[in-house]
This record gives sequence, C-alpha cells and structure tokens, in this order.
Amino acid sequence: MTAPLLETRGVWQRFGGLVANSDVSISIGRGEIVGLIGPNGAGKSTLFNLIAGVLPPTQGSIWFDGEDVTALPAAERCVRGVGRTFQVVKSFETMSVIDNVIVGALVRNTVMRIARRKAHEVLEFCGLGARVNVLASDLVPSEKRRLEVARALATEPKLLLLDEVLTGLTPIEAQTGVELVRKVRASGVTVLMVEHVMEIVMPLVDRAIVLDLGKVLVEGKPGDVVRDPKVITAYLGDRHAVGA
Amino acid sequence: MMDTDFANRRRRDLIVAFCLAAIAAIVPLFVKDVYVQNIMVLTLMWGALSQSWNILSGYCGQISLGHALYFGLGAYTTTLLFTKFGVLPWFGMLGGGVISAVIAMGLGYPCFRLRGHYFAIATIVIAEIGLLLFHNWDWAGAALGITIPMSGDSWLKFQFARSKLPYFYFALALACVAWFVTWWLEDSKWGYWWRAVKDNPEAAESLGVVVFNSKMGAAAVSAFLVAVGGGFYAQFVSYIDPESVMGFQFSLLMALPAVLGGIGTLWGPMLGAVILIPVTELTRSFIGGSGRGVDLIVYGGLIIAISLARPQGLVGLFSPKRKEAVR
Repeated sequence: MTAPLLETRGVWQRFGGLVANSDVSISIGRGEIVGLIGPNGAGKSTLFNLIAGVLPPTQGSIWFDGEDVTALPAAERCVRGVGRTFQVVKSFETMSVIDNVIVGALVRNTVMRIARRKAHEVLEFCGLGARVNVLASDLVPSEKRRLEVARALATEPKLLLLDEVLTGLTPIEAQTGVELVRKVRASGVTVLMVEHVMEIVMPLVDRAIVLDLGKVLVEGKPGDVVRDPKVITAYLGDRHAVGA
Repeated sequence: MMDTDFANRRRRDLIVAFCLAAIAAIVPLFVKDVYVQNIMVLTLMWGALSQSWNILSGYCGQISLGHALYFGLGAYTTTLLFTKFGVLPWFGMLGGGVISAVIAMGLGYPCFRLRGHYFAIATIVIAEIGLLLFHNWDWAGAALGITIPMSGDSWLKFQFARSKLPYFYFALALACVAWFVTWWLEDSKWGYWWRAVKDNPEAAESLGVVVFNSKMGAAAVSAFLVAVGGGFYAQFVSYIDPESVMGFQFSLLMALPAVLGGIGTLWGPMLGAVILIPVTELTRSFIGGSGRGVDLIVYGGLIIAISLARPQGLVGLFSPKRKEAVR
C-alpha cells in the first residue's frame, strides 16, 4: 500500500470554549472520491479550513503527500497541491471569468501566455468555455460554482476540496456537477467533498466519513454508512431508515 | 482565438498611448503661453502620480491616503542631496525613489495587517507624522523649507529659469513611464495577484497568492514612482517646505484623478488628470488668491457627481466591456 495522500492525525480545533473538531483522524487515498457528511455544526467546514491551511489546528498534525504541512499557510499548501472551493462562493467579482482562472494557473506557469492557455483549457473542461470574457459578477450561481472548481483545477491540485458545490442547484445542474466531479477524478485528482444532498453524494463517492459533534462518527462504504444506526439517529433521521 | 483578441487589445492600448504621447510632445511647440504650459506640466505630473497611486490603491485595492509622504520624501531627498552634498537631481530622484520604496515596505509590514478603512486611516496618520517630523527637522530646513540655488539653465542640474519646455518633457516622460509600468504589470503575475487580493484575499490565498508579499510589491512600485514625481516637483518649483510637498492635500490630489477617471484601470488616472487639473487651475485663477480651497470644492463636486452617475469612473464610457456585460 502506498502512503495516503492526506492524513489528519488527532486534529483538534477549539474556538474559545467551543470544540469544533475533537481528535479527528482521517486519511484519504490517492484517486479516491471521499464524501464528508454530517449535520450542521458537525465541524465539516472547520476540518476543511484546517486541511486547506486557513487556520492552524489547536492540536494534532496534518500530513499531505508524505509531508507534515501543519505549519504551512494556505498559499503554500496550494503550491503543494491542495485546491479548494468555498461554501459561500468567493469569485473575484471585478475580474472576467478567464482572469479569475488565470490567477490559479499562475501557480504553475509564470509565463502569461501559457497560464492563459491553461485557463482556457480548464474553462473548457468545466463547461464554461462560452463565458470566458464575462465578468464574474455577471455569472449565475451555478456558473459561479463551476468557476470556483475551474479556478482550483487551474492550480493543478493533487487533492481537490469541494465545499458544498452541489448544494442549492437544480437537479439538472447538480447532475452536470456530478459528471464534472467524475471527470475530475478521471483526470487523476483526488476529491474530498462536503455535501448535504445524500441522493446525489452517495452514488458518487467511494467512501463516506460522517462527522458529528466534531468527531468522526462512522466511516465506510456509502451503502453501509447510510444503514448505520448511529448515522440514522444523528443525521439522517428515522424516516431514512425505511428507505435504506 | 481568444488569445489573439486579448493580444490585439493589449497592442491597441500600446499604440494609442504612443500616439497620444507623440501628440502631447508637439503641443507645446505651438502653444507658447507660459501659463498654459504650466498647466500642462502639472496635468502630466498629477496624471503620472495618480497612475502610480493607482497601482497600490486601484489594482491592489489598498486605499492609501498618505502618499504625500512618498511625494515629500522624493522632494526632500532630491533637494537635500543636491544642496548638502552636490548630488545631481537625476541621482537624487532615483535615490528618493529607492528610499521611499524601502520606507513603504517598512510601513507596510505592520499596516498591511489592517483591512479596508483601518488601513486608509493608518496611512493618513503616518503621513501626518512624516509632515510633523520634517516641520521640526532643522537640518532639513524645518518649517522654513529649502530654496534650491539656481545657477543658470542646465540639463545636468535639471533647472531652467526661462523655459518650461524641459520640465514639460520630463513630466511627459514620467507619465509615459508610469503608464507603461502599469500596462506591463497589468498582464503579469503581479497584476493578476493584485486584483485577486483586492477582490477577495481569502480566495486569493487559496490559489497560491501570497497576499502579504503582493501588497508589499505594490507599495514599493507605487512609492518609488511617486517619489520620482516628488523629486521632479521640487526641481520644478525650486523651493520646498513641509506643507508644500507633504501636506495632506497632496494625498487627495493623487487619489482624485484615478477615482474620477476609473480606479484600478489603465487609462483612468490620466483621463481624470486631464479633466481635473486644468479645471481646478482655471477656477483658481478666475477666483483669485482669496478663493483658496475653491479648487478643492470643484474637485469634491466632480467626485460626487461621478460617484452618483458612473461609479466605475469615466473610463467606462469608452469601454467595450460594458456593452458586453449589459447583454
């Protein structure tokens, strides 16, 4: 077995008296699509921010690609190969779509012409090829989500963190989103996604990790996870037990 | 195909700028009136200064209302080096630029941790501190200021008693340099990083942008160019005191053309300066010496009008992008 791409070892995060993550140890293998699920306030977003390097954990360490990255800031982790999207989209609103993506592409290519070509390719890949010269502020919400993914992909990540990219989309939009995630994995990128819409996530992921009250409650194959009694009480509710 | 569109737009900007500069260069050969030439020099200088201010405040989004500090540092460095050590102003201007860039980074180190309004307030306070220091620094002339001794027309010493033309051409060159630096940086890693930092620092950080360093870089380039302008201004007026090169109004005068023309745009600062400076100089001369401050009232009025009618600046009137966005 090769070493996992990402590993959190006994990670804690406290905000004053609030414990957002307590002793979280997860590992993500290369080429996996892993879903991170759990009720609101379970600590999913905090864990994401710890992995992306927005804030350092109170305790514990984070290992990426065989290296301890706990002390590295977000920009350095991006250079190492961690790409992310934001739950609340953070487009560069006054910049055009292509310029948004060029910012990401510049991590790997400092020659502008090459960065620009790379950005075009990524936008084509993400289905935004027709919108390159539009201002980011003029995009509709589903396009903004795609732009977030495109921007992150332009940094050529090894691990892509998707924070609720499929939430709040129409079923058709969500379906094209799912196809995009599959395409991303097929291109060799490992995916860790936070998601709420179980019907969409479960068929997509190889493995699911359920967080509750800041702890890992259950992890395993999506089929097993949804049948787990602990998950049903904590998150899904008894109504789901019948269907599953 | 998009690549060529983009490259064409960049090339067109360059050609337009070259043509405008060429036209500007021959205007004073026909317009001999010294008063008008004086206004042209000031217009070009403020255009260049505003263009430089725009790099930090427009592109990188760190609104500075203390750039008078760098303007004054440039003026003082050039003047002091010349009057105390006999260093030619050409080197003085470069030296002032380097000193200002270093100080801008030194000040940026604590200040760039502040966001938005807090950063702007810090810049005002720091510039005021600089002003007070120079007011009380005897070796640098304190409140009395320094007169640059004139010893006849000389390119070497960059002083001319009779003709305004050399100053005009220097101001034109400075404006061209400031414009070209902006043009060049706009399509560089720095240019993209700066705009990303302005729009959303957190997202920028997640894409590998080192936000702090970007701000430092923008501050250094911006302060360097403004200080060269300050050194030029000292030569142009040949007398400086703290109020006349480091007063708060200079910080405002650098910001206003960019705001009027279009903040964070390539053409905005110059366009703003071409409108603002002649208008205010003319009002000042019509109202006369008693109307001190009327020019600033006119400034304020124009800014209010523009922010109500066209918040993105006048340059938006020429931009094809707007039509596209309206759909």
